[in-house]
Amino acid sequence: MILEAQCINKYFLDPEKHQVLKEVSLSVPEGELVSVYGESGSGKSTLLYILSTLDMDFEGNLKIHNQEVKDLNASSLTDFRNKHIGFVYQFHYLLPEFNVLQNVMLPAMKLSKKNKDDIRKDALNLLSEVGMKGFAKRPSYQLSGGQQQRVAIARALINDPSLIVADEPTGNLDQKNSELIFELLKEITGSRNKAVVIATHNPKIYHNSNRSIEMIDGSIRL
Amino acid sequence: MSEQVFNKTNIFIALQYLAARKKQSFLATIGVLLGVTTFIVMINFMTGVNDFLDDAVFNGSPDIIISATTKRNSKKKPGITTNYIENSDKVDEFLEKDQNVESFAHQIISPAILISDAKQFPGSINGIFPDQEDEMVDLERRLIEGEGFQSLSSENTILLGISLAKRLQVSAGDQIKMILPNGKNIVLKVSGIFSFGITTIDNVRTYVSAATLQNLLGQNSISNIHIKLRNRDNVRLKDYLIQNINDITTEDWKDSNKTIVIGNKVRDILTWSVSFALLLVAGFGIYNILNITVIQKRKDIAVLKTIGYSSKDIVFIFLVQSLIIGILGAFFGAFFGYIISYMISTTPLDTSDFIIVDTYPINFKISYYVLGLLFGILTTIIAGYFPSRKASKVDPVTIIRGI
Ligand SMILES: Nc1ncnc2c1ncn2[C@@H]1O[C@H](COP(=O)(O)OP(=O)(O)OP(=O)(O)O)[C@@H](O)[C@H]1O
Ligand SMILES: [Mg+2]
Repeated sequence: MILEAQCINKYFLDPEKHQVLKEVSLSVPEGELVSVYGESGSGKSTLLYILSTLDMDFEGNLKIHNQEVKDLNASSLTDFRNKHIGFVYQFHYLLPEFNVLQNVMLPAMKLSKKNKDDIRKDALNLLSEVGMKGFAKRPSYQLSGGQQQRVAIARALINDPSLIVADEPTGNLDQKNSELIFELLKEITGSRNKAVVIATHNPKIYHNSNRSIEMIDGSIRL
Repeated sequence: MSEQVFNKTNIFIALQYLAARKKQSFLATIGVLLGVTTFIVMINFMTGVNDFLDDAVFNGSPDIIISATTKRNSKKKPGITTNYIENSDKVDEFLEKDQNVESFAHQIISPAILISDAKQFPGSINGIFPDQEDEMVDLERRLIEGEGFQSLSSENTILLGISLAKRLQVSAGDQIKMILPNGKNIVLKVSGIFSFGITTIDNVRTYVSAATLQNLLGQNSISNIHIKLRNRDNVRLKDYLIQNINDITTEDWKDSNKTIVIGNKVRDILTWSVSFALLLVAGFGIYNILNITVIQKRKDIAVLKTIGYSSKDIVFIFLVQSLIIGILGAFFGAFFGYIISYMISTTPLDTSDFIIVDTYPINFKISYYVLGLLFGILTTIIAGYFPSRKASKVDPVTIIRGI
């Protein structure tokens, strides 16, 4: 198992204490793409922030790559996330000061396990895999939404993480681009043997995933 | 800490952010540059003037002057009489015993009219003992023409201040006539011309040998004793003399140079306050720019955090930006400060009423440049620290939810 979440409970204190996730358990092995769907406000994003270790304020156990993330301190958690988790947002957020290639390279430059030339090679390979090689030297703000999302996926993959978490990665795209992005994620899941969790409202996506989970009011429907 | 924040990647990111806001970064650099330049120029100039005055005034005049208050000959007309110290032996005894006295010299001072072929002017005639006076005043360094105190050992010679010599239209080797208040007169050969750089001295001061003056005045007393101290700030000797010796007054360097002492203080305060104010403004500029950047770039910071950059990396990335601005601004500021100071130091200066110099006195001490650099860089570090810390506190979840 890449991801093992057990009995996750999450409370928000604002405006008053209320429970947003209730006893959520979820395991994802490598090579599986799981999509989470459900009404707006049901807790999909909240769950994904927890699964990607961005939000550590929760109850329950979360093991990624056999590491209990609650045992990590703040700085080793950052390193752990850098190494093992790729995150894709709804708004495909690239850094506008950097060109496409640099955006993809940034996580690997932080990890600094390889030298810059190798990182550049990896990044270019990934860019061609997502069909964006021709845009490598472009400033990232010149790209369309769908193009940016593909670059963001390449960025999420650069350190070869075992888990990819994507919060409505196609939420901002038209049907055609949505399908292209989804196909890309699916292909990555299979060919690269990743565990992928996607939150989505798109039926085409959750019907075509390896597994889909419906969230209702903070709980997983069994 | 295992992680090292000082690395190429973080510096690369910082540079990229700076380059993305070239104009603001440039202006912030200019701000620091102006602060440091002003500091350098002002401190070079102000301390240059201070040192010049210190040197000219304090080394040209004694630390304590003892003069007599009694009139030996009350028949003389007031205003042009000379008072004589009656107990000079007793004073000498005191001075010889005092540890803080470096040297002292007797003088007999009298006003006189000096007459050259062309002009006549009043002057203050200092009758001195060459060997003693050599200990007190380094006249060799201030000689324009001719020779120093030792030339007064030969008979009927006089040393003139430069301004007085110019007004009398005489140079070394010429002869002038001196008329004393008692009507006696004598022809003297100008054996040297000196300049202290201070108009009030160079306009009136002359030296003759004490023997010459004593002869003419029919006196073998002295009117003044000049004292040079080891520690100039300790003038307790003054009170001691007043209490123990009758009929004398004393004056120390602070009394006689009040305006200069105050002037030096004013210049110091001015230098530090203006430089500080300018650097404060520059610091606020940097603070502002980084603060705005942090607010505008909250999303980017959140993204950096999600892809593995730690809070410390973020602090470093932002601190480096202000540090680069600070270092560039400070170095160019010191450079321009030097250029401007140099230009000032070569600017010809018309003789003013107060000091006589060819060009402005400038102090190029290296320590001021080091101080200016430190000052500029420190300001930017402090100004950059708070926005950087703010940036590192950005919570990625809150920001990404809001994207
Ligand atoms: N910071 C917060 N403080 C308080 N309540 C919050 C906070 N963030 C989210 N919530 C609440 O938690 C619940 C779950 O929100 P979440 O964003 O996870 O829903 P979602 O399933 O992702 O919705 P959508 O499909 O619209 O993206 C909602 O009721 C939301 O109002
Ligand atoms: Mg959501």
